[in-house]
This record gives sequence, C-alpha cells and structure tokens, in this order.
Amino acid sequence: MKKTLLIIIGLIVLGIAPIVIRSPFFVHLMIMVLMWTVLGASWNILGGYAGQVSFGHATFLGAGAYTTMILYLKCGVDPWYGIFLGGLVAMVISLPIGFICFRLRGPYFSLSTLAVAEIVRLVALNWESLTAGPVGLLITTLPGVSFLGQPINWESKVPFYYIIAIITLIALIMTYIVSRTRVGAYLLALREDIDSAESIGINTVKARVVALALSAFLAGIAGGFYAMYLRYVDPDAVFSIGLSVEMLFIAIVGGLATVGGPLIGAIVLVTLGESFREHFLSGHLIFYGFFMMVAIRYMPDGVWGRLNVLFKKLRLKKDVNHGTA
Amino acid sequence: MALLDVQGLTKCFGGLKAVSDLSFQVNEGEILGLIGPNGAGKTTVFSLITGFIPANQGKILLEGKDIAGLKPYSIAHKGMARTFQIVKPFRKLTVLENVSLAAFLRHSARKDAEAQARRVLERVELIDKAEAYASDLTLSEQKRLEIARALATNPKVLLLDEPMGGLNPTEVDHASILVRDICKSGVTIVWVEHVLKAIMNSCHRVIVIHHGEKIADMPPEEVVTNPVVIEAYLGKKANSYKKGEPIC
Repeated sequence: MKKTLLIIIGLIVLGIAPIVIRSPFFVHLMIMVLMWTVLGASWNILGGYAGQVSFGHATFLGAGAYTTMILYLKCGVDPWYGIFLGGLVAMVISLPIGFICFRLRGPYFSLSTLAVAEIVRLVALNWESLTAGPVGLLITTLPGVSFLGQPINWESKVPFYYIIAIITLIALIMTYIVSRTRVGAYLLALREDIDSAESIGINTVKARVVALALSAFLAGIAGGFYAMYLRYVDPDAVFSIGLSVEMLFIAIVGGLATVGGPLIGAIVLVTLGESFREHFLSGHLIFYGFFMMVAIRYMPDGVWGRLNVLFKKLRLKKDVNHGTA
Repeated sequence: MALLDVQGLTKCFGGLKAVSDLSFQVNEGEILGLIGPNGAGKTTVFSLITGFIPANQGKILLEGKDIAGLKPYSIAHKGMARTFQIVKPFRKLTVLENVSLAAFLRHSARKDAEAQARRVLERVELIDKAEAYASDLTLSEQKRLEIARALATNPKVLLLDEPMGGLNPTEVDHASILVRDICKSGVTIVWVEHVLKAIMNSCHRVIVIHHGEKIADMPPEEVVTNPVVIEAYLGKKANSYKKGEPIC
C-alpha cells in the first residue's frame, strides 16, 4: 500500500516538475537524469541481473542515435517513430555481438565488449557516406507536431522532458517485469553460476542473448532521444568509452539488480557531476572520481541497497519499541 | 529396456584416456553405485552423461533415445538431473529461490514453482532454512540443497556426485536415508561416492571404475570381496595379504 502511494506521488512530481520549476537549466538537468536512468536501467538488465559486465554499451546508444538521425535526414522518418526504430536496430545489432562475445565468460566477455565498441566507433568514423564521419550529422529543425491542438514548441525543453519521462517509465516497468518473471530469475541464476544454471535446464546462451537484446533496446531508445535532444551526433559524442563507463557507474552506484537503482544512481551522479563541474571547473573529474571510490568502498550494494538496509533497521527498531511500550 | 543405457563411452584429454569404452545400464527404480579410486574418471563420466563435456565416442540412451551431444540444459529437460561434487549453489540467493529456479523448468508461474520448491525443501528437511542465503548454510545443508535443486527439476534419473563428501558419520547416515527415500519415490539414482559404507548399505548394484574402465558390475556385497576391486583400491600386495576379507 505504502509502495503504491509512493509511486503515485513520484509520478505526480515527475508530471508537474517542469511546470512548477521553469528554469531551463533545471529542466535540462531533469532530462539528463531521466536519460541516464534509462541508460543505467539498460546496463542493469545485462550487468546487474545477468551479471554480464559490459564495457561497450555505448555501441547500442550510438546505434540508436545514428539510426534515428539517419532515418530522419535521409528517409524523412518522423523521429518519434525513429527513436523506437533506433531501439530495434540496436537490438538487431546486439544479436551478432552476443553471438561473438558470449562464447567468453567473465572478464574475457567484458574485454570483448570493449573491443566491439571500439570497432563500431571506428566504423562510424570511417563510413562517411552513411555517417558523415567525424563531421557528424546535424539537424536544424524538428518536424512540426501538434498535441491537443497546440503545436509543440521544440525550442522549449519541456516537450523533451515529457518524452524522456515516458521512455523512463517504459524502462522501469520493463525492469520490473523482468525482475518478477521467470526470465529475471534465469538471469540471476546466470549471474550466480553458469554451470548450475545449465544443470537445472536453463539455456544460458539464449538467456544471455535475451538479456543483451532487452538491454540494447533500451540503450538504443535512449540514444535516439539523445540525438534528437542535442540535434547532433558524431562518433565521439555517442560511441565513446566514457559513455559506456558512465552507464556502468550509474547502475553500480544506484544498486545492481534493483528496479529503482538506476534512477537513484542517475539522480546522484548526474546532479553531482553537474555541481562538481560548476564548482571545480576543470578539476571536476578528480572529485567525481574520488566520490566514485568512496561510494564503491562504503556502499558496494549501491545507494538503493544501502537505503533498503537502513529502512529495514528502522522498521525493526520501530517494532522493538512497539513491543516494549 | 534400461532407463539409461551407456554404450562404449570414451573421452580423451590429450593423450590421457579418462574414460575408455565404458558401457553400463541403469534400470528403472534402482540405486546404482559408481565407485573407484581417486582419478578413476567417475566425475568425468557424470559430466559426459549430462553433456557438460562432449564425448569422443559412444552412445548415451535415455529411455531409448540418444542424448549424446545435447547441451546440459536440454538433457535436464529430458529428465536427467545432476548434483556437483564441489557444491555450486546460487550463493547470493535464498534457499527457496535456489530451488524455485530449478522448479521453473516444469512450472512457468512463480507461484507454482515456489510451491513445488517448498515441497522439495520439506522432503530434504531444509524448509526451516528457506529464507536463508545459500552462502550461509553449512556444508551438509549445501549438499542437501544441491539434491533439492536437482529434485525440483522433477527428474527420472538423478546423478549424485559425492553427496556425502566432507560429512560426519551422523550426517552420512542421515543423507543415506534421504537418498533411499528419493529412490522409493520413483527416481532412479546413479551415485558416485567415496564413503563406501553408505554405498554398501544403500545401493542395489555397484559399478567399479579404474583408469576409466569398468572392472566390476555386481551387488555391493560381492564387490567388497572381489580381488580385482581390492587390487585397484589397495594394490597387489594388499590383495595377497587379505584374500577373501572385505575391504570395509
């Protein structure tokens, strides 16, 4: 009961936030938080639930971003379908990657994802007829769309906010469904022990491919959104290793294999990143790195995991007090 | 027809023949012991039968159908489950979750899988620990968890790889009763074990492997007096000293 109430309050806050607080910077910050929540959720399905640590998730983000961009510029496909097509293309690309990388286990798998991500980045950099290479792709105007009879003003950030809010909800609901069903249980089994998982009848290759495909779909959608929001993509903006690592951090700091973890991780890391940037200017990454070290040392289960432990303790205390009174 | 029929099973690791031309049958409803000195190839046989490592040669017929070359998960689907000598629980999951995961093989709804898991836990007397994490169990409990997880897949044949290893005598007796009980409920059992006393008390038939070859296939009471077996375990000299004396 309490949980549903919290979720409803959360949804209302999410819905009215950009109306109440009109600062464009704040809305931008919220958009970034939500976008990174989707990316963290994407990484979390593969890395958190299935325990397959990927260092190359920018591949799927980039695939989504370029797909949406190219479809719009060259084929005139409306970006709001393009974003979902971007997710689908990322999913399709993930299949051969999974086929190659899942032959390897543990750290070898992680290294292979890093290698694949670099290959994809170099392809994007050199396939100039499709991607315009290092110059990148730029869009100046987004197509006119009207909502409830009102034309949408793309110069304002608010419409972008609502779009990414919907995508975030999809990502969180997807994670929730995964965590509640047989698929999610199978992913946890893979994370714990692949041999045992096989011995109780789990097709571990198939389960890993499914996890990767779901994960890639979410990253691709976030990528498509990213491209439309910035109106610009180039290989370094969407295929860089930095992005892959950021996704991993958000999922880990938030709390692996939890539904809400990526949201918490994104709130903490995006706002912290921004405020460090503002206060420390060029040295901000030093503080960011220092924070990461502290977080991983003292909260190995992530902020969400830590909060859960605290809540449990509080509840126990309450029960004890109740008993004596 | 035998429930499980292994014919001419061979596996080489480089130049070493770990299992060579091994044939044996497992009849429905029996407990078949599989013993042999260290390094005889017992665990390798299990890994071959359950598809964890591919055989070089040989047929493995489960209910008359060849399962050689299938992956472990599809062999589990066909009704053969195994435990591991070195326990491999899902450490960060609870006992109930461990067993439910296995029960998902036959039940797609979480509720049904959990109900099945609880029934199995009841049987192996781990129900009190259902909410404990697998990593917090004692070795004896972890061994029972291995069995519970295998049982939850609802197997026709259950392969036990040293379920008694590392247990104290009381625990061994306890576990023996459990194994016999599982057999009575209609599950055929193949059992690799070093604790010979448990094997002798529970098995209907015993196969002895030495250097990857079958050297005996007989009732347990005959195995302990069989000169070839004694020689394999204790060497030639021991055989001449203790002619006709049981080795345990």
